[in-house]
Parts: sequence; structure tokens; C-alpha cells
Amino acid sequence: MKKILFTAGLTALMTTGAMAQEIGATFSRFDDNWLTVLRNGMVEYAATIDGLSYQQEDATDDLAKQIDQVKNFVASGVDAIIVNIVDTSAGAAITEAAGSTPLVFVNREPDNVDVLPDTQAFVASNEIESGTLSAFEICKNLRAAGKAGGATGYLMNGQLSNQAAVQRSKDVYDVIGMDMCNFMTIIDEQTANWSRDEAQDLMTNWMSSGEPFDFVLANNDEMAIGAIQAMKAAGMDMADVQVGGVDASQDALLAMAAGDYDVTVFQDSVGQGTGSIDTALRLIAGEKVDKKVYIPFVLVTPDNMGDFLDAN
Amino acid sequence: MADTSHGTGGLTFDKSKRSWPNELNVALALIIIIVIFEVLGQVLPYMNGQSFLFDTKDRFDGPLGLFNVARLQIIILQVAIIGIIALGVTQVIITAGIDLSSGPLVAATAMIAMSFGQTELVNGNPNPKALFGPWAMDLPVLVPIVIGLTFGAFIGAVNGTFIAYFRIPPFIATLGMFLICRGIALWWSGGNPVSFPTESYKALGAGMMPVVWFLSLAVVFHIVLRHTVYGKHTYAIGSNEEAARMSGINVRRHKVMVYMIASMLAAFAGIILSSKASTAQAGMGEFYELFAIAMAVIGGISLTGGRGSIIGTVLGAMVLGFIRSGFTYIKLDGSYQLMAMGGIIIAAVILDQYRQRNRA
Repeated sequence: MKKILFTAGLTALMTTGAMAQEIGATFSRFDDNWLTVLRNGMVEYAATIDGLSYQQEDATDDLAKQIDQVKNFVASGVDAIIVNIVDTSAGAAITEAAGSTPLVFVNREPDNVDVLPDTQAFVASNEIESGTLSAFEICKNLRAAGKAGGATGYLMNGQLSNQAAVQRSKDVYDVIGMDMCNFMTIIDEQTANWSRDEAQDLMTNWMSSGEPFDFVLANNDEMAIGAIQAMKAAGMDMADVQVGGVDASQDALLAMAAGDYDVTVFQDSVGQGTGSIDTALRLIAGEKVDKKVYIPFVLVTPDNMGDFLDAN
Repeated sequence: MADTSHGTGGLTFDKSKRSWPNELNVALALIIIIVIFEVLGQVLPYMNGQSFLFDTKDRFDGPLGLFNVARLQIIILQVAIIGIIALGVTQVIITAGIDLSSGPLVAATAMIAMSFGQTELVNGNPNPKALFGPWAMDLPVLVPIVIGLTFGAFIGAVNGTFIAYFRIPPFIATLGMFLICRGIALWWSGGNPVSFPTESYKALGAGMMPVVWFLSLAVVFHIVLRHTVYGKHTYAIGSNEEAARMSGINVRRHKVMVYMIASMLAAFAGIILSSKASTAQAGMGEFYELFAIAMAVIGGISLTGGRGSIIGTVLGAMVLGFIRSGFTYIKLDGSYQLMAMGGIIIAAVILDQYRQRNRA
């Protein structure tokens, strides 16, 4: 009897062993705020799935390193790979490096997204929404403030080599191109590299020209907060300026609660993280998945910000 | 003697080396840059005749009312923090060393110091970025400063020990420390930002405070380098290390001290930066080490050691400040700024070499 039980136990162990799945993930950089929220969410979610071992690496913004990491994952026999790609124009290289191992691109859209093989998929939010939602809300706010006769402002770009930054800035121009919002004029646009301290200096530089302005649109929250800090330091009344960004980070929501920050856009890190792991598991199981899994963006204003305080 | 002093440093430091008006060249370059931007402001059609430095819209009063005071302020404010690092890097380079670890050290110190400078309540809510428990909240501002500077001193001591006692080339030793510090910055909070400091921590880098720190530290180290034994030994080691040793200078101990001072200045820059931004993030201070070296180089320092000055470095910092504000003023984006800065760094060295050759 004992022997039977032992054998049964061993079999059970072996079965679990055979079912154990390994996922390796590589992120463009570990020190990015939003990606850190995404990463931590994925670690937490992976821990809730029985038999899943999950490991993640930092590509430190180095594409060659990331390709090697993918190859290393393949060589060590992981069941699926999740990639937050360093350079969105290098999708083909990553796709090739993964070979037949299932692979999910998360958050950043690779340029080969439309020609991915059946073992690969893309999970993210649709970047066209984010910049558009933010800029359009600012446009409406400016109209409501009686500035439909003409409003000027500044645009802060993220890293110029980043596809999301390019897309979000393009969205701003698309919104301004609409009849309803064509009263808005961009005085100047510059990059502050997603960073708060660079944004402070850039905003102060802009203000030193003494040109009046009505709005500041930034590609992310950190830069918007930097701009707000600079404007407050210069003694401006934040009620007179509309500031819009993207991310709905904790710091941003607190700035909004203080009445300094007007519009941001929530990018669902938990949704993207769980979505990418779920998609990877389905690919491992051999199921057919959508090539593009979109997690929606949500507009965040002082009216609904309470819903997001614990989200990112 | 003035001519033979080159390369024979030692304790008999030749004052004529310093009196050569290298700083005047940098000041001249500054004026040329200003004139170029003023002219561009008048010539470019979309500028509407706006001036770079002068108050053409009558916005400012007081003694400097002739100038656009807001722009003068940001020009120096935006280079003040890297400038603090450059004060230390200048001393390291005078000893014929180099310090690549300062940028990541800024980030690591910012993270560490800020986590002891956080406030418990933000607008009545508990601090969402609190790293430690209530015991680390609302501490007196001296606590994060002392912890940050101690950390900097430790990193500098390690740098200096490896360089002076284990004979590891400064480039390699500080390159290693560069990676270690970036690792520490990331590891400290797992990549999460540390935000919402106390009011007194915020005050350290608020408004023009970074400039106040930068200029006062510049005055202090200008005096130290020119008028103290420490300064004499620093130049002596850089001019001819062997001669300095023979003249009885404890070269090893002195080098450790120089690297410690440099790292403490970088650590202090990290504290000020996190205060100014009201947040500490692991990615902060990117390329700061290189811009700090660039400031010293534009200021006329020699990477082979023995030559350079705090005044030169401060002027070098101003050159970068004027360029950054100038490009924003004529509404050209960051890519052009980088190209211009790169060109100016190379031009500074070419000019300097030309000048050296003519003297010899």
C-alpha cells in the first residue's frame, strides 16, 4: 500500500513537473517608472499561477543585449518569452531570435506587428488613443474657459527615438488639426526625455521668453509634473494653464488632487501585464490568439481620478 | 622657468602657469556664443526681433532690469547641479585621474537620501511612495544629508583606494563604480521612484538654491586649490606624480582624499537634484559624469593632469548653459544642441592644444 501511495505521489510530482511552465521576460529598462509598475504586476500575477516559473531581465535600452537575452531564453528552453522591445523598429530581429518559441510583445508595438508568425502576439494599449484623449480633453477645457478665440501652448516630447513619444506628439497635432480644436497653436516643441528635472529646466527656459501661453501638453506625467513645478516656482496660477499628460501615475494623481494638473490618461499596467502572461500561456497551450490584444486607455480628470488612486 | 615648468611639476609649482589667461579665452567664447544667438534672434523671421539676453519687453526692473532676468537665471540654474559635480571632477582631472562614476552616484545618493527625507502625509493622504515605515518619515533634514554625504564619501574612498593602492587605472576603477552605483540605484527601491519629501528637504534645492550651492562651493574650492597645501599637492601630483612622491607628498593618501571629495560633491549634487525635482528616480543623472567632464574640458583643463582651474570649469558650465538656453530660445530642438555641444568640446581641446604648442 505504501509503495502504491509513493508511486502515486511520484507520478503526481512528475506530472506537475511536466506541466510546469517557464516564461522569460525582457524589459527595455528597469528604471522606467511605468514599466516598473508593469513588471511588479507581472511578478505578482505569475506567482498566483500554479506551476509557472517567471523570470525577467533588464535590457538597459540596448537592443543587441535584448536580442541576446531572447536567444538565451530559447537556449535554456523556456516555454514562452515576453518582450518589452527596446527599439520598436527592430521587431523582425526579435521575432527571428525567438524561432518557434512562443513570444509576446508587450506595451511597445514592434514594426512587424502585422506579419507576426502564429506563435507570436502583441499586447498593449493603442497609442493612438492616449495622446488623442489627453489633447482633446485639453481642447474642450480651453473652449469651456472661453479661449476658443485662440490659445497658445507648448508641447513636451518624450525620447525622440521612442515610438510612443512620436505617436503621442502626432496625436496632439491631429487633434489640433480638427475644426473644433484648430484655435490651438503650438509655440514650440522640445524633448525633455520623459524626465521631470529636464522638464523643469525646459519649462523655465520657455517661460523666460515671456510669451503668454494657455496650455502645456506632455507625452507623459513626469514631464507634465516638472512643467507644473517650474510654473509654480515662477508664481503662475495653475488655474490659468491647462496641463495634459499620459500615465496617471501616483504623483500625477496627487498633483491633480491639489488642483495643479488637469488631464492625464490611464494606461492599464495590470491589464497589460496579466494580458501578456495569459496570452503567453495560451500560445504555449497551442491555442489560436489575436495578433493584437488591445487594453483600452482611460481618460483621467479631477472628476474620476478617485477610481485610479490605487491603480498604477 | 615658465617654459620648463611644463611636466616638471613637483612642489615648485610655477605660478605663471595659472596666470596664463586661459579663462579669458573661455570668457571670450561665451561672448561669441551670446552674440551669435543675439544675431540669430534678429535675423530669424519667426523670432519677431526678440532678444536673447536683453529685456526688450520691459518685463524686469531693478539693477539687472536691462536684462531678461528670467533667462539669466535659468541659464545658470540648469547647469548648477552638474556644475557641482564638475567642481569635484576638476580636482580629479588635475591629478591626472578621471571619475566616470559621478552620474550613477547622483542617482544612487538621490534614492538613498530621499528615502530618509520623505514626508508621512501628502495632502492628508499617506505618502504613496513611502519606502520605509513611519520611523523614517519626517526626519530632520540633516539626517538625509549626512547619510547621503557619508555614502558619497564611502564610494569615493573605494574609488581612491583601488586607484591609489591597487594601481587600477582611474578609468577602469570608476567605470566599475559607474555600473555598481547604477545597480545600487535600481536595487534600492526595486526601480520605483522615491517621492514626496519633507518641506525642509524640498527647500535644499528649491528656486535658485542649486545656483547658490554651486557658486559658494566654487568659491570654496577655488580658494582651496589656490591657497592651501591640499591644492598645491593636487597640482603637484598631476604634473609629475613621481616627483611629488619624492618631495615627500603622501601621494596615495592624497589621491584617496581627492576622490572622496569628488564623490561627496557628486553625492551632494544628488541630494540637491532630488530636492529640486521632489523625487528620486534610479534613471536620474544620466550622462551627468560626461557633461561634468565636458564642463572642465571646455574650461581648459588638461586630461594629462597638472593644469586646470575652478574658474575655468565654472565658465565651461556657463558655456553649456548658454548653448542650452540659446537653442530653446531660437526654437531648435535637442538634437541640434547635442551636435553643437559636441563641436564646442572638440573645438575647445583643439584651441587648447594649439595654444600649448605656441607656448612651447
